[in-house]
Amino acid sequence: MANTATSLSSCGAPAVHFNRSSENLAAAPPAKQKAKYKERGNVLAEDQIVQMSKQLETFKSNLEEFASKHKQEIRKNSQFRVQFQEMCSTIGVDPLASGKGFWSEMLGVGDFYYELGVQIIEVCLALKHRNGGLITLDELHHRVLKGRGKYAQDVSQDDLMRAIKKLKVMGNGFGMIPVGGSYLVQSVPAELNMDHTVVLQLAEKKGYVTVSEIKDSLKWEKERACHVLDHLLKEGLAWLDSQAAEEAQYWLPALFAELTSRDVTPEEANQMTP
Amino acid sequence: MSFEWPWQYNFPPFFTLQPNVDTRQKQLAAWCSLALSYCRHHKLYTLDVMEAQESPVFNNKKMERKLSIEAIQVVFEELRKKGEFSSWLDKNKSRCLVMWRRPEEWGKLIHQWVSRGAFPAHAGLSERRGGRKEFHGLEDWMLLRSLQALQTDGKAEIIIMDDGKGVKFF
Repeated sequence: MANTATSLSSCGAPAVHFNRSSENLAAAPPAKQKAKYKERGNVLAEDQIVQMSKQLETFKSNLEEFASKHKQEIRKNSQFRVQFQEMCSTIGVDPLASGKGFWSEMLGVGDFYYELGVQIIEVCLALKHRNGGLITLDELHHRVLKGRGKYAQDVSQDDLMRAIKKLKVMGNGFGMIPVGGSYLVQSVPAELNMDHTVVLQLAEKKGYVTVSEIKDSLKWEKERACHVLDHLLKEGLAWLDSQAAEEAQYWLPALFAELTSRDVTPEEANQMTP
Repeated sequence: MSFEWPWQYNFPPFFTLQPNVDTRQKQLAAWCSLALSYCRHHKLYTLDVMEAQESPVFNNKKMERKLSIEAIQVVFEELRKKGEFSSWLDKNKSRCLVMWRRPEEWGKLIHQWVSRGAFPAHAGLSERRGGRKEFHGLEDWMLLRSLQALQTDGKAEIIIMDDGKGVKFF
């Protein structure tokens, strides 16, 4: 792996050669000077391009060699994929930038993430009626792995996040909200601003939050807290519990830990609204 | 076989009637399902709302959450509207019938049983009920409705006898 990285980065920056002219530009009159400089600029640019093309050819054939050697690894090994992606970003290349072309064809990287994206959408749709379109990365990971079965390729949380980013770009209403050291994956285009996000993060610890907790932790006015909670209720992301001992609690099904192990029952499946 | 609780049963807000309309729809659908399966499992045919509030299905003691009387009434009203799985015995909605199996379905079962020769084609109403485990505890009103359904179908006839009712099967 290290050797290959070296051979790629040895492509380096293109070298630029200057043509020496016998003319002494400094001595010429201003207008002519300007024209000459422009001409020289063009010549230099052409030169650069020729050099860069050569560099690119070398780079490309190195990459093709790399790809054929490591295509299997990319599909099978999630650790390898992480390193590969990091290497690509060092060079300033995004292997997922386009569905077609060199990367997806040579390496099959695009296919892998595209298929994963489809799986992620399926899981989110299946659970939307329960959690309103919000799911923890952990639960998503658990269910994706389950769906893939025993003999399928290994999928890491890093893979999920990349696939989700790709979905986001395609405008699928996907987003990731950082909470408690991990993420909540949002799969419906609910309007969630900073206030909502911050309350979600607060709710992460116990799976629910109260007006008092919001006021104490975030130093907000009661109105602001209620406004956010009402919005979460409206979006179907939170449920109201008015039988709690001290004050009303707002629970998020997405954060309700016990859901992780439970499957969708056939009865639930019948209840799901399209 | 012990009764399996759905995930919602351990979710505290499940016992609060939800203010958001869409969420409430999901909640009621889940409650209807749960109420019916619970009644089916325990072979309950009638329900007194006040008593039901203390039954485990509507009262999760461990979690200290229970459905209000009003909410229980909403659930059974929903069951009634959804497809006549329930019907009120009084105007105050304090008692209701629970038809986790509809009269037509009962009728079919009874007819099958009779066709297999389990009983003579002529028999008293109470005799109909003995024997098969399936029909154990089947209350009179339900049995009658089932037979009426069969009658409508032309598969049976209810006969008024001196000492009660009898049924003739075709």
